[in-house]
Amino acid sequence: MKKNTTTRRTFLRNVSAAAAVSVVPAAAMALDSKPVAEYPANERKGPKRGVSLYSYSAEFGLTKTLEDCFEDIHDMGATGIEILANAHIENYPYPTDEWLDYWWSLCWKYNIEPAEYGHWIDGRVLQDRELTVDETTEYLVRDMRLAHRMGFKWLRTKVTVKDNQLAPIDNWTEVIDSVLPLAERLDLKLLPEIHSPSKLSSGFITHYLDYIKRTGTKHFGLNIDFGVFNTNVRGGSEVTQPEELIPLLPYVYCCHAKFVDMDDNFRETQIPYEKILRILIDNGYDGYLLSEYEGRDKYDEGYEVTHQLRKHHIMMKNILGY
Amino acid sequence: MERTVIQSVGFRNVMEEGKVIGFQFKVRNPYYRGVYLSQIQTGYATVDGEDIGRDDIMWQIAGATYTWQEMLVSRNVHWNPLQLATIIVKKPGGLKQGYHDLRYSFTSTKSYMPPVLNVNNALKPDTTANGGMTLPEFGATHHYRRLIIV
Repeated sequence: MKKNTTTRRTFLRNVSAAAAVSVVPAAAMALDSKPVAEYPANERKGPKRGVSLYSYSAEFGLTKTLEDCFEDIHDMGATGIEILANAHIENYPYPTDEWLDYWWSLCWKYNIEPAEYGHWIDGRVLQDRELTVDETTEYLVRDMRLAHRMGFKWLRTKVTVKDNQLAPIDNWTEVIDSVLPLAERLDLKLLPEIHSPSKLSSGFITHYLDYIKRTGTKHFGLNIDFGVFNTNVRGGSEVTQPEELIPLLPYVYCCHAKFVDMDDNFRETQIPYEKILRILIDNGYDGYLLSEYEGRDKYDEGYEVTHQLRKHHIMMKNILGY
Repeated sequence: MERTVIQSVGFRNVMEEGKVIGFQFKVRNPYYRGVYLSQIQTGYATVDGEDIGRDDIMWQIAGATYTWQEMLVSRNVHWNPLQLATIIVKKPGGLKQGYHDLRYSFTSTKSYMPPVLNVNNALKPDTTANGGMTLPEFGATHHYRRLIIV
C-alpha cells in the first residue's frame, strides 16, 4: 500500500473537528463507516512476523518508550505490532487526537502495521458481583471503536474465566452476540486467546467452534498461544501436540508466538517451533506470529528483553525463510 | 519514574489549614496493564512497624481523591501504568525528620485468571498468603522502601 500522509492527516483533522462539538471524548465516538486510515500493511501471504509489546512489560515506561519499542521491532525486520490497550495507549480509554496522530506516525516511520489490539473483558471489575451483559458490552464497544480508530482488525479479546482450565463465563455468547453487528461493520475479528493451562482439547474450545459454525460469523475466532505446546510440563499432564492445531486453523487469525527459553543456537528449548511453524506454512495460515516473551528472568534487575526477541526472530526468520 | 513501586519523589508530610494531618508517598502501577480503580485491592500500610488501617489511607489519581470504599465503585476510572498514584495517610503530626520504613500492599482483580486466585480481604504487608498474586508479573503485591522526611 502506498503511503499517503496527507490523506491520513486530513482525515484525522476532520475527526478532531467532529469530536470538538461533543462532550464525549473523541476516541469514544463511533467511526463506523470507514476504516480510519491506511497503514503499512504487509501483504505477504503466509505467517508474518510481529511482536507483542507485552514482551517489554518490565521495561516499558521505565527504560523504553513506545518509540523505542517500534524501532526495536523494526530492527528485527518484523512488520506487525500488538499492543495491550490498557498499558500502551496514553490516557486509555480516551487517548487524545494528538496521541493517535503520534501512533500513526510511528507505524509509518517504522513500517509496522497494527496487528493485534490486546484488551480484556473484565467481568469482575467490580469485586462484589459480575458485570451484566449490557455493562460488559459497553466496555467492549469502546475498545472495538478505539481499535478501529488505531487501524487494528484483529483483537485479542481476553475473556472472563470461570475455572482453573480458563473456560469462559457462561454469558460469553450473549456478550459476543451483542457486538457481532459492530464487528461486521468495522471489519474486526474478536479472538479469545487459548492459553496454558488450557489445552487445544479443552471442552470449551468446542463451544467456540460450535458458535462460529452456528452463526457463520467471520468476526469471531481464536488466538492460539504457543505456550500450550510447551513440553516442559509437570509429570502426568499431557502435552498438546502441534498437529492438534490443524483442525482449528480455519478459525485462527492471530497467534501468540510465546517463548520462554532461547539458546545461543537460536532454538527454543521447550516449545517445538520448527514443527509448529511447518504446520502453519503447510496449512496456509495467513496471519501474524506475535512474539511474547515469558521467561522467568524477565523482571530481574537490568533485564533487557530485546536480546531474547532478536534470537526468537532469527529462529522464525530461518524457518520461514523471510 | 523509579523502578521501585514506592517512589522517593513525593514523600513528605501533608499540611491542611496550618496543621500536619499526615504524610503522603507516590506509587507506580507495577502490573503490566492498567486497571480500573474498582479492581484494586488495597490493604494496610505500615510505617516504622506501626499498622495503618485502610480507613486512614486515601488514593489520589489524576487529581481526584478516593477512599477505599469509593475506589470499589469507580469502575470507569482507569489507572495507567505510566501514571503515579499518591497515597495519602492520615496521621496527626505526620512523620518526624529522618529515615522511615514504609510498607504497602495492593493488588487487583484479574478476570482472566481463575476466580480462586482473587484476594478479597484487606491485604497485610509481608504476608505470603496470596500465593501466585505476589509474582512480579502481577505487580508483586508487597512493597517496601526506606525513605527520608526532611
